[in-house]
Amino acid sequence: MSENKKKILEMLAKNKISADEAYRLLSAVDGDEGGNSTAGHDNTGHENTGSRGPQVKTKSKYLRVTVTPNPEGVPDGKGNLFQDGNVGRVNVRVPMSLIRAGLKLTSLIPPEALDKANNALREKGINFDVRNIKPEDLEELIEALGDMEIDVEGGRGEKVKVFVE
Amino acid sequence: MNRPPMLMHIKIQNKERKFGLWLPLFLLIPLALVILIILSPLILIALLILWPSGYGRWALLCLKAAIVSFWAMRGLKVDVQGRNEVVYISIV
Repeated sequence: MSENKKKILEMLAKNKISADEAYRLLSAVDGDEGGNSTAGHDNTGHENTGSRGPQVKTKSKYLRVTVTPNPEGVPDGKGNLFQDGNVGRVNVRVPMSLIRAGLKLTSLIPPEALDKANNALREKGINFDVRNIKPEDLEELIEALGDMEIDVEGGRGEKVKVFVE
Repeated sequence: MNRPPMLMHIKIQNKERKFGLWLPLFLLIPLALVILIILSPLILIALLILWPSGYGRWALLCLKAAIVSFWAMRGLKVDVQGRNEVVYISIV
């Protein structure tokens, strides 16, 4: 068993990650270990971190969150600045490098604040120590985000999508 | 290494007013560097004073984190349209 896989299973045993995330990480490790790593770029703006035939792994660059309102639910225009179907539209694109930089900021959180966070989690029934989050663990989770896609349709017909590109 | 952000576009609009701004970050970054160089003796003195208490290292880490976060902001786009307001922020 490789060191990476052992580490993933240890994180799962310590409840740092869920079973779903562990499965994704193990799949990613299997993909990394199964092929050559030849760096290159493709036309879509992604970096190719490996060439393994059908299992080409591209490095994710952005986290996207989009909310598309229901085009049939156009407001009547009374008192609204924008009288079109774009009310309630959200389009957010966050670079992955910014997410990594932000997660590394957790090392600057004072210990007293971490204790408060742990106590608040414990009150909610979550027995988890935020001090156990390490940058290398977060890096693997970010890599696994490449497979994530959330697609939700709300009660009023609005569509919420969270994905990585 | 990633390129730093070059331009920032902010647009905020509501019922009462409209605000738009193009910030040339490629001009502000050299200016910030010059200011940093000019203030570097003061910063060094402040670090030397704060180092024994442990705050000096924390201050350096904060500065590094701020620079790394700013450098990573290229490509950030926030576009939100509410009922009576629009907020658009784009960093290129």
